[in-house]
Amino acid sequence: MASSANSNQVPKVYRTVMEDVINEVRELFLDEGVDEQVLMELKTLWENKLMQSKAVEGFPTDEQKALQAQQQQAQQAQQTQSQTQPQQVLLPSAQQATPQQVIVQDPKIFQHMSAPGMSTAAALALPAGVAPIQQFITPQGQLLQLVRAANGAQYIIQPQQQMLQVLPQMQPGAVQAPLIQQVLTPLQGGLSQQTGVIIQPQQIVLTGNKVQQNTQAAAMAVQPEQGAAHVQPQPQAQAPQQQPQQTQASQQPPMVLQVDGAGDTSSEEEEEEDEYDEDEDEDKEKDGGEDGQVEEEPLNSGDDVSDEEDQELFDTENVVVCQYDKIHRSKNKWKFHLKDGIMNLNGRDYVFSKAIGDAEW
Amino acid sequence: MAYQLYRNTTLGNSLQESLDELIQTQQITPQLALQVLLQFDKAINTALANRVRNRVNFRGSLNTYRFCDNVWTFVLNDVEFREVTDLVKVDKVKIVPNCFCSLVGHTTECTLAVWPCLQMFLNSLTLISSDL
Repeated sequence: MASSANSNQVPKVYRTVMEDVINEVRELFLDEGVDEQVLMELKTLWENKLMQSKAVEGFPTDEQKALQAQQQQAQQAQQTQSQTQPQQVLLPSAQQATPQQVIVQDPKIFQHMSAPGMSTAAALALPAGVAPIQQFITPQGQLLQLVRAANGAQYIIQPQQQMLQVLPQMQPGAVQAPLIQQVLTPLQGGLSQQTGVIIQPQQIVLTGNKVQQNTQAAAMAVQPEQGAAHVQPQPQAQAPQQQPQQTQASQQPPMVLQVDGAGDTSSEEEEEEDEYDEDEDEDKEKDGGEDGQVEEEPLNSGDDVSDEEDQELFDTENVVVCQYDKIHRSKNKWKFHLKDGIMNLNGRDYVFSKAIGDAEW
Repeated sequence: MAYQLYRNTTLGNSLQESLDELIQTQQITPQLALQVLLQFDKAINTALANRVRNRVNFRGSLNTYRFCDNVWTFVLNDVEFREVTDLVKVDKVKIVPNCFCSLVGHTTECTLAVWPCLQMFLNSLTLISSDL
């Protein structure tokens, strides 16, 4: 508790604010005729950026819980939605207890066989070596299956409808199965969005934060909801070819997901944000070096040990935004009575209800 | 109307960036984004006033001070922020206590001081719409 009093507070306060805002604007969104999906996207983007900034510790826990809860719900829904379709089937050995290989028949079309009664969210934590197949469901209602190939490599098959938030489930370090790297051409419209699964055993993909909606970003073969629970006689017959065809990957260049939090895009935004700050601030004393170092800010903030945090190299502009009760000066002695502030010091966020300070000019 | 000064925080900026992205992809209108930000202002002000209950002390040397149009801006050097048990040292910190005029639409009451606030407001609009 010692040093964490404030850092305990900050995530909660932020979480509260976020929930408040999202709930309040839901109505606004509906009034404007904007879909709830967009609201969710806003929330996701917002959370992701906060996580990326590393200014807040231990932030996304709620999201993970929500994800897992949704998985369980979606799994039930998914099994009822399954439709049979005359398509080649990727048989992840849904019915068998022995490990099976992932079959890639048609690079573009896969049908995922959902194994009824498979564990869902539990699959996240399991090494997947225990059971041949484990299902879990992303918040989008997609079925993820963890498949163990005959060669011992493990693959994850995912429907490719919307690859949202699939990866945040996979905590870095907890992934034991090589994730599917490539996304085959996503099917548009008519088909039930069944897409190929590309398995590349040695690659481990974790987005960490940004899981984007476009299929490439997710880089995971995704299984369609509808096809999830299919069991088709035809595909089964074809299935036992059992040749992990990694050449399917050639359909699309392998996409590797960033684990470190997509520094590329954020740098642009950082820069923009920085310029915005400059426009807004009257203070002309901002370091000239700030602009040049903007890209590094999200990467190195918080990395340094405490000793280094004092150095100029640390390019976070430490800002305190607050309200004041009283500002007092006597000769060159200044006293500050501040309240309700948010501080960003050395890359970390802090809040206070009252702050009293002294400074000599 | 709540103070807008918290928009330039991690929380506020990440919200603005997210909104900008949605505007870029035309999923929301700038007007809606503005409404969201106003709602954020309310929420953050309420949260800070009601949910946060801690005190911080700090000490340092004052490098510059500025008070212009009801906005204070201080730059301090070699500051130590002390909470009950925490200690955070920074070599340079900028403190911006609020301008009471950072209220949207508050033009009638603070005509003289409205300029910087209006400027900020316009800047925020520009930021939102610049990517269209």
